[in-house]
Amino acid sequence: MKNKGQEITKGVIVNIFMIIVVVICLFPVLWMCAISIKTVGEKVSGFNALVINEPTLENFKHLFTLVPIWNNLYNSLFTTIIGTITTLFFCALAGFAFAKYRFPGRDILFCFVVATMMISAEAGAIPLFVIMRKMGLINSLWSLIIPRIATAVGIFYLRQYMLDVPDELIDAAKIDGCHDFSIFYKIVCPIITPALASWASITVIARWNDYFWPLLFLNKTDKYTLMVSVAMLPVSDGLATPWQTILAGTTIVILPSIILYLFMQLFQKSGNFAGAVKG
Amino acid sequence: MNIMKTLKKYRAPYLFILPFFLLFFVFQLIPIVWTGYISFTNWKGLGEPQFCGLDNYRLLVNDYMVLDALTNTTIYWVSSLVIIIVISIAIALCLQSSRLKFRHFFQTATFLPYVCASVAMGLIFGMLFDENAGLINEILVSIGWDRVPWLTSSKYARIPVIILFNWRIIPWFTVIIYSALLNIPSDYYEAATVDGASEFQQFFRITLPLLKNMLFFCMLTITVDVWKMFNESYTLSGPGSSNTSLFQLIYEYAFKIFRLGYASSLSMLLIVILLAISILQFILKRREGEI
Repeated sequence: MKNKGQEITKGVIVNIFMIIVVVICLFPVLWMCAISIKTVGEKVSGFNALVINEPTLENFKHLFTLVPIWNNLYNSLFTTIIGTITTLFFCALAGFAFAKYRFPGRDILFCFVVATMMISAEAGAIPLFVIMRKMGLINSLWSLIIPRIATAVGIFYLRQYMLDVPDELIDAAKIDGCHDFSIFYKIVCPIITPALASWASITVIARWNDYFWPLLFLNKTDKYTLMVSVAMLPVSDGLATPWQTILAGTTIVILPSIILYLFMQLFQKSGNFAGAVKG
Repeated sequence: MNIMKTLKKYRAPYLFILPFFLLFFVFQLIPIVWTGYISFTNWKGLGEPQFCGLDNYRLLVNDYMVLDALTNTTIYWVSSLVIIIVISIAIALCLQSSRLKFRHFFQTATFLPYVCASVAMGLIFGMLFDENAGLINEILVSIGWDRVPWLTSSKYARIPVIILFNWRIIPWFTVIIYSALLNIPSDYYEAATVDGASEFQQFFRITLPLLKNMLFFCMLTITVDVWKMFNESYTLSGPGSSNTSLFQLIYEYAFKIFRLGYASSLSMLLIVILLAISILQFILKRREGEI
């Protein structure tokens, strides 16, 4: 009898703990959405924020007059999409080489790749700015894409997956006269599609949310990515941008990634990003 | 001749990994070496850099802003290591627990913060922590506490930054730890239950030892993430340098007041700290005989 009571208590504790966690996770986002549809006249302080009397889209309209949203949106989408596709391709290619080929220096080179994860590119930001200026890439979206075409982390994760692709498959393809690249493209890539998909979602999130590099490399309002524009909202309307407008801006930035994430969840039945970090 | 032969024989794999090394060379290695060079000059961004020996490093030792930034970042680092590891393990264990209802919903919902942009969340947290209009103070007042000047006093300014950083990053480490938990064979637990081990014992004797490698990996990642923290402290900046992170200070010296030489010496400091921490962690790990 005592055991059963304990069992129920434990179940209650687990579920209540998780409900609290979920509330903490979701609350700031819901709170933001609530304020972004309040009229400028309404109070937003404290608990007042949660009472919506007359929902309005005025804040979003005001936002469009403050910053060139369409330009910024295009810039964000361009860097995110092109950046993700190129990264995926080059990381998978390198991961394939490290996982499925034996060549002199492979293990040392791979250790080197892993070691570079410890030093962040940010530490060299000052000369990087000079290099970009010399290449004429300041104010160009390519400055955000090119340096991260092949990242150590991406190579590391995708290699883990490639290791599981059976060697026999690749040998058979070789005997059939397949070229190295077509083995990668036609045989390995289709097998590791789940890994590619989860790595792609992680990259999309990282690129869309990127702030430091666009802040550094872009310095014209219509060249900004959405993230930079939104971060500057508090000072873009004199110093008195209403909270409603600022939070309308953050809503525009955050909602698309949440919607995309939920959409991805529907497709990946096995659920979430756990696949990307397989041991 | 020999090298050429090898290169030709293994042309494909070398070609496949070439892009990484090329990009690393141009956009990481050269900049870091170059940073080292600039750090010995008083370059202001225009004209030729003038060599000035160790002047920057002498200045750096006595700069109270640098000391502040180092203290702040160390506090962020240590607190984040503890908070992230403890909470991530707790959430991951709950997600794995057979007692949890609606697991898929909880999985989806607890990952959501990681999807949200840290800069945008910074603006939102700035409002939540506002001294007069913020919800946090409203809650404190309603339970009978005083209003806390979160972002206007140097005493409290680090707390919102820590909360924001952890709020956003914990889901990521939860997923990593959760997937590591799923890889532990369930027979271990069944055998332990048969032997009469309590759940606490099972956690400390089975789960934790088996998670060790993954936790080590997490700690390394957290370390790098914290030391290059920028968005959180930049959007939630407190008075003066009260919650400035080291990397944010580098940015401000370099691109706001254009003391590029001095900022480069700070970058070198950051690189040395990161290298020292990772080497130390590997040595500790090796002493345990695990690598």
